[in-house]
Amino acid sequence: MVTLEELKDNCRQILKEGKVKYIIGYKRKNGQYMTVPAFLDRIEEVDHLVWDPSCIYNLVRYLRDEKMRKEKEKEPDTRPVGVIVKGCDSRAVNILIQENYITRDDVYIIGVSCEKSGIVDEKKLTKKFAGKDIRKLDFAGNGKIQVTCGTKNSVVPAEEILADRCIECTIPTPIVFDVLFGEKTDREVPDPFKTIKELESFDTTRKWEFWKEEMDKCIRCYACRSVCPMCYCDECVADSISLAVKPDTTAEEKAHKIRWVEKSPVISENFNYHLIRAMHLAGRCVDCGECDRVCPVDIPLRYLNRKMEKESLDHFGYTAGMEPEKPTLVSCFREDDPEEFIL
Amino acid sequence: MKMEEKFEPKIVAFLCKWCSSAGSDLAGVSRLKYPPNVVPITVMCSGSVSPNYIFSAFKKGADGVLVSGCHPGDCHYMKGNYYARRRITLVKELLDFIGIEPQRFHMSWVSAAEGAKFTEIISDFVKELEPLGPQNKLRSNL
Amino acid sequence: MEKVLLKKDLNSWAGKLGSYDIYAPFKSGDVWGYELMENQAEITLDYPNTAIPPKKILFPQREVLFEFEATQEGGMEIREVLPDDTPKIIFGVRSCDARGLAKLGKISQGGIEDVYFTRRRNQTVIAGLACHNPPSPYCFCTSVGGSPHSLEGMDILMTDLGDAYYLESVTEEGVKLMGSAEGIVTDPDDKQKADKEKIHSDSEKKILLDISDMEKINEALSEIFDTGLWDRESLSCLRCGICTFSCPVCHCFDVNDEIIRTHPLKGKRVRTWDNCQFPDFTMHSSGHNPRSDKASRLRQRVMHKFRYFNENCEEFLCTGCGRCIEKCPVGIDIVEVLEKAKTYEK
Repeated sequence: MVTLEELKDNCRQILKEGKVKYIIGYKRKNGQYMTVPAFLDRIEEVDHLVWDPSCIYNLVRYLRDEKMRKEKEKEPDTRPVGVIVKGCDSRAVNILIQENYITRDDVYIIGVSCEKSGIVDEKKLTKKFAGKDIRKLDFAGNGKIQVTCGTKNSVVPAEEILADRCIECTIPTPIVFDVLFGEKTDREVPDPFKTIKELESFDTTRKWEFWKEEMDKCIRCYACRSVCPMCYCDECVADSISLAVKPDTTAEEKAHKIRWVEKSPVISENFNYHLIRAMHLAGRCVDCGECDRVCPVDIPLRYLNRKMEKESLDHFGYTAGMEPEKPTLVSCFREDDPEEFIL
Repeated sequence: MKMEEKFEPKIVAFLCKWCSSAGSDLAGVSRLKYPPNVVPITVMCSGSVSPNYIFSAFKKGADGVLVSGCHPGDCHYMKGNYYARRRITLVKELLDFIGIEPQRFHMSWVSAAEGAKFTEIISDFVKELEPLGPQNKLRSNL
Repeated sequence: MEKVLLKKDLNSWAGKLGSYDIYAPFKSGDVWGYELMENQAEITLDYPNTAIPPKKILFPQREVLFEFEATQEGGMEIREVLPDDTPKIIFGVRSCDARGLAKLGKISQGGIEDVYFTRRRNQTVIAGLACHNPPSPYCFCTSVGGSPHSLEGMDILMTDLGDAYYLESVTEEGVKLMGSAEGIVTDPDDKQKADKEKIHSDSEKKILLDISDMEKINEALSEIFDTGLWDRESLSCLRCGICTFSCPVCHCFDVNDEIIRTHPLKGKRVRTWDNCQFPDFTMHSSGHNPRSDKASRLRQRVMHKFRYFNENCEEFLCTGCGRCIEKCPVGIDIVEVLEKAKTYEK
């Protein structure tokens, strides 16, 4: 089990030694049991650090902000940034390194193992403990989570309140780290792609009806893209901001600029945006499930990315973020890649 | 009496300049007959076909999309078609997953000498698309 | 006019309103939203609040302004597109959202009239619903000049009495609409009147969040424009659009040409919601962006709501619905930011 005090001590130590610029971690949300991302740059602040099943965020996303900040500064502080990562998050760091977005020296990785547990789905939790005054969540070891409601503690099997992605997770321990807390464990999941297989078994019409209904809900707030550690493109095809409009730009000129996706939230455009995103995340998505969590209209976006994950594994034996020194899924090939579908 | 208008599927075909496009040219100069339902777009290499192109073609109203390149080992750029093969595998799976009929999207290897194969692919493709009717799922509804 | 309508009669009243498009809260999955109701029997007002406010009905996320088509002579034919003028009723609008619509109404009249919004608003009757309990733990309507039973922006205010709704007309439109319920509704007795008053006063006490000294917020904000507070508070911001798209008063928009055909040119000019948190918001054609970082974008959002609009119209551009706090994926809390702004020491 991860001992919070040890984790805090380590954070204090590296801040004191000046090894890191600051540490990205979790702290309690004002008076609540859930957490928010915390940016700790002073030793005193480490007191607020939290590690429990409410640490839902993938903090690797903030390395993108750090990079942008650094690029703007004239004399940037080149020390690494400390970041607390779970198993899935660590693979995201690996991909950023693999794609040369950051270097290994830019980041000091503090790994925490989810062991047999994981992080909660707030919706499942509040449904299960409806009407109760939830105060605190704790790992209770052995695949159990302790929920404190008022003064009463109840220990529940983690699967009952875990986020879907954690239930299907087979890599709960960070792959890459400078320091690791908790035990290295494997997780046996009978069928990690069960939901995807179920969706695949639908016939064409039913598949379409399912996705059409989901895509119809999209309001294009781009929270999925914004929260994703892999969506770091300076310019997204969905934005088309490169079109410089001058006073003498004619309607024809505007019309002939390529705009892949219009801003309008209609089904065809929503599909286009989400399909492009799914393709761009193929072989890169680590299934941290953040897009799924943040969607304000509950589109199960994870399924699209999970499907791509399944196909990369089935066809090419590739799992994202495991080997940063090797080329990425679509920047390499094997001569014997499957091609039965090709005419 | 008004005749029911026959559905004529529209196929957008991304053909690589070095093999498939030349193959389609060969079909032409050899005076081979094939259905006129295809809109060929010559690209430098099948590896340069971004999934964006494919989704866009469907959005702009294509009933079927074909990506065609050189046979493995024959790519003018040595390995562009290998990359394409990986990418297209994923696109095909994704389109199938969201409920687009798998018959609407194909990839093929057509060399510059295979004019006959090209005509065959297009004829079969048209035959496959006819019973499906127009593709309205991804078509722009702006 | 004040009347009482039995809950079981709500659907038969709605049945009498055939000439109207009826919008009401509808739950799909776990998410509530306003939907055009095909079937009156499905109307339910037993709901907390919707994820997306009713502004989407009067100020849709996508609005076609006009269509254009190149003519053979080389000119351009332009055809104006106005919203259809079917009368609409929106049932169950919460007080905060109705106030939001009132504010949007004011904005649509400022400077150049927004004919699209006004036209729709003039065709729409708002039959709102007072809150018993705050729909969200983050409600703070009482801090920004509202209340759980505010009449502002309403045509009719409905209060849930348990087995019946207490209807109060606020505008002429409301009176007219209530007239259509003739025969179904009864006059309220004294007990019902007292019950309603009690529900109203109780509901105010149940609002948990309270921002003190709101009258000083303008001054406080004007002093901290150039401070590190914004950097600090925006550190975790993702730059997504949830806070503004779910806001009942955010009204920034973008105008684009959607091309349907290039030869000969044909297309539509459309207005879509825009969002001050997006990186391309205020992007100049030169590529320069005056608000280039998250800090300045968060500042803009807070300042617009509590300072600039306050200076121009003497009210806040916020109705305290709490959606942006509840929905923010990383827990950024505008109330917390305001509290910090008040006590910030340079």
